[in-house]
Amino acid sequence: MLQTLEQFAEACNTNARLRQMNRDWSRTIAILPTDRPEVFWLTSKEGFIQAGQGPVNAADLQIRADHDIIVAVFSGTLSPTEPYNAGDLLVKGSQDDLMRLDIITLLIWGE
Amino acid sequence: MKHVVSVSLGSSRRDHQTDVAIMQENIQISRQGTDGDMVRAKDLIESLDGHVDAIGLGGIDRYLVVKDRRYEIQDAKALAGAAKITPVVDGSGLKAVWEPYVIRQLVARGVLEPAQKVLLVSALDRFGMAQAFYEMGFATVAGDLIFSSHIDYPIASVEELEEFARKLLPDMIKMPFAMLYPTGSAQDQAPVENSYGKYFEQADVIAGDFHFIRRYLPASLRGKIMVTNTTTAADRELLQFRGLKTLITTTPVLDGRSFGTNVIEAALVARSGTLPDDPQWDRVVMQAGLQWDVRVLNSLPDSGKGD
Repeated sequence: MLQTLEQFAEACNTNARLRQMNRDWSRTIAILPTDRPEVFWLTSKEGFIQAGQGPVNAADLQIRADHDIIVAVFSGTLSPTEPYNAGDLLVKGSQDDLMRLDIITLLIWGE
Repeated sequence: MKHVVSVSLGSSRRDHQTDVAIMQENIQISRQGTDGDMVRAKDLIESLDGHVDAIGLGGIDRYLVVKDRRYEIQDAKALAGAAKITPVVDGSGLKAVWEPYVIRQLVARGVLEPAQKVLLVSALDRFGMAQAFYEMGFATVAGDLIFSSHIDYPIASVEELEEFARKLLPDMIKMPFAMLYPTGSAQDQAPVENSYGKYFEQADVIAGDFHFIRRYLPASLRGKIMVTNTTTAADRELLQFRGLKTLITTTPVLDGRSFGTNVIEAALVARSGTLPDDPQWDRVVMQAGLQWDVRVLNSLPDSGKGD
């Protein structure tokens, strides 16, 4: 999981367009697998994304799903919309942040 | 008399009814808003099916046509599927054919000039208009990400717009429509935060969906031109007060309001019997005698009260 999130962060950070899009987006995202005890996080600050493992305080966005779904979403093999619509991916936070995450994954892996 | 109804996810406060002459025949048209209630909209379409000559889908796009690809929004597909007999149209067929023609005519007549800067608040739902602006040399910013998703990223070329469409739309059409576009009372709400005034300030021409425009409308529109539709008399007063120089609507103004493209498209389908995916559709649109509307709201360079 951590490796997947780090690769996701690197894909964002090496994409100039995504850095520009996220330049004013400062968020902490808690990634909470429902079938594993570990928790992970992503942070976005000044256009750069970082990934890590461990609990975070005051996350702006919480993402809960089975480990395999989270890995699939952040590795680009599954779009977030499908598990979200099916109720298999639960997101707590603002709709704008959810939409932005969706757009980021699609711009990296879409088409 | 033929009768068409626009079933809209928009606010019921904007409901109205009138007649329109299409190809020398009067057609009764009415708009019924369902305040963002998808179930109510579906029930209404079911009840109208077989009892009216065409149904327009308002406040929602069914098809997003970008270059040679057509993407179908799933929520709209479900709504349209509620009618088994009566054709249901969303205005995309009219936007694809008529709006680029209107832009080219406005340039040919000197109303618009390619040296002007354009803010097209949403381009993926009116790619024809976007393409016309880009191809005619207007410096054009497409604000889809800005105004729909609150991502401060202006799209500045038709190639990038097409790339965004290819990458985003196959997935986004599956999302609940309310995530993509304000429906019901959300159309009347001012945004919590509006830091996008710079895009309005930089533009000479503000174009596209009026709900997006109105939501983010800056205090001053002094000297600017707007190209849109679905404006009412109250909207015109507001725009005049803010100093807008010229309001251009791509659809005709009837009883003081310019109708949505879905309404006019439904009237065309009712009158001609030709559907938008028919090879003859372009000819039907161009021979229908449609008129755009140009109104000067503030004629003096320093007029308006928006500052």
